[in-house]
Amino acid sequence: MGLIGVKYCGGCNPHIDRSGLVKEIEKLLPPGCRLTTDRLSDGWEIAIFVCGCPTACADQPAAGSMSRNWVRVRGSTVDLEPFPEDKIADVVARKIETLQKK
Amino acid sequence: MALKTPEQYEESLRTMNFRVYLMGELVKNVVDHPIIKPSMNSVKMTYALAQNPQHEDLMTAKSHLTGQKINRFCHIHQNTEDLVKKVKMQRLMGQKTGACFQRCVGMDAINAVDSVTFEMDKKLGTQYHNRFIKFLRMMQEEDLTVDGAMTDPKGDRSLPPGKQADPDLYTRVVEKRKEGIVVRGAKAHQTGAINSHWILVMPTITMTKEDSAYALSFVAPADTEGILYIYGRQSCDTRKLEGGQIDVGNLQYGGHEALMVFDDLFVPWENVFMCGEYEYSGALVERFAGYHRQSYGGCKVGVGDVLIGAAALAADYNGASKASHIKDKLIEMMHLNETLYACGIACSAEGHQTASGNYLIDLLLANVCKQNVTRLPYEIARLAEDIAGGLMVTMASEHDLKHPEIGKIVEKYFKGVVSVPTEHRCRVLRLIENITLGTAAVGYRTESMHGAGSPQAQRIMISRQGNLEYKKKLAKEIAGIKD
Repeated sequence: MGLIGVKYCGGCNPHIDRSGLVKEIEKLLPPGCRLTTDRLSDGWEIAIFVCGCPTACADQPAAGSMSRNWVRVRGSTVDLEPFPEDKIADVVARKIETLQKK
Repeated sequence: MALKTPEQYEESLRTMNFRVYLMGELVKNVVDHPIIKPSMNSVKMTYALAQNPQHEDLMTAKSHLTGQKINRFCHIHQNTEDLVKKVKMQRLMGQKTGACFQRCVGMDAINAVDSVTFEMDKKLGTQYHNRFIKFLRMMQEEDLTVDGAMTDPKGDRSLPPGKQADPDLYTRVVEKRKEGIVVRGAKAHQTGAINSHWILVMPTITMTKEDSAYALSFVAPADTEGILYIYGRQSCDTRKLEGGQIDVGNLQYGGHEALMVFDDLFVPWENVFMCGEYEYSGALVERFAGYHRQSYGGCKVGVGDVLIGAAALAADYNGASKASHIKDKLIEMMHLNETLYACGIACSAEGHQTASGNYLIDLLLANVCKQNVTRLPYEIARLAEDIAGGLMVTMASEHDLKHPEIGKIVEKYFKGVVSVPTEHRCRVLRLIENITLGTAAVGYRTESMHGAGSPQAQRIMISRQGNLEYKKKLAKEIAGIKD
């Protein structure tokens, strides 16, 4: 099933527990699917951009080119849609599954 | 015509048919009324500066709908640079008018309505966003001034809208027809309403299901049948009726507020952007308030620049500018003013994209900005009065200064530094009086306190957005506390 990239923002003032969220997401992914922060020379196919707040200052074009498909967490939003913090992992996992089926 | 000239703006107001009462009289000509005119001049400046190559970079933007160059006051922010430029534009406008230039409420309203209607439609399947975009396109193409109308009279603050003895104290839908809705109620403190082409009404607070009739947003032509205005008085406003130039302090520019009354106003459905969707009323209030709290980090700073300049001139004219405590007070005024600006810029730079594509300010920092605005202009004003001296409130009138007999006496005894004409000293002291105690104090002082929400409203938002649990976690880690 492959690797799913993870790119974190710098984490100066996170509104969410970023590392806790990533652990939750990993638990929800299908077997054989693994999260990694190790960059690939030709970029990830799918990755999660985990930004602690909506400003998402790290989400710049240079960082964006690290993956061909992104699921963007910015504070308590996923791809700009707001969710309660305890639902974010589930939403992200479902989005990854959808991207994998494409 | 994506950009109106200032003359075209003034002419467009002349074709309108406002129903305005001012000091007990129905105003026949709102554009030329001496009490109203300075406020119209301030809005007119938003059109003039957009035509000026020296200012167009701040005053204009590229429409995301048409690609045309439009006035920034009609723009939907497309990135954080737009948010920053908004604040810079407002500082510039404050500097050029020394007053409230009124047009920012409309800009803040369209940006709030843009993202909220988009999210509402996505969730509820309503059709509000397309209606709004149609209106926005017209606003941009015709370079309209729009009054963002939020604050209801609110009656007894301990009671929700539906429990008020008089239900009209909150603006509400009283009838739904096939063609549209009928609205009754009022909006208080409506800045620039009589200089506006359209009004954009929003709910005043977060509504509950019981109060869904009050969860309402719509646009209407500002002079349409069913809207009545009662013009708000300002301190020293009748000086404008005296025909002089000095005692008014700021002859050319000013601001205004009015009570806007909806007397069974009919609004066609195509102009309705929220009607009963109470779940989204809070988001609309929060975002409009957030944008408007950002605005004050620009406009009040621009007026502050004028006040600091006036205080420095007063010191020069008094012969006091070399005194170390005067220098220090001017430094303090600049420090306070730039602190406000820093907050305005910070909440803009930290803005973020919403689902509709527009950019929203950082709400926490915008509320911090406005909280500072409820305090620092008062201190700046205090220091200005300190530097100016008591003469700013005891000085003889312009009529006395120009009087054939006693004019020479006024000249002689109100003289400061020999090289400076007495009239110059009088003019700058009257300007300080205007901003700190006169007509412009409405904008610089009390509006700084209550405009865009009273101080407690910001404290509630700071409490919600301040991330206190995270701060506790940080402290625990450093202190070695393990739960």
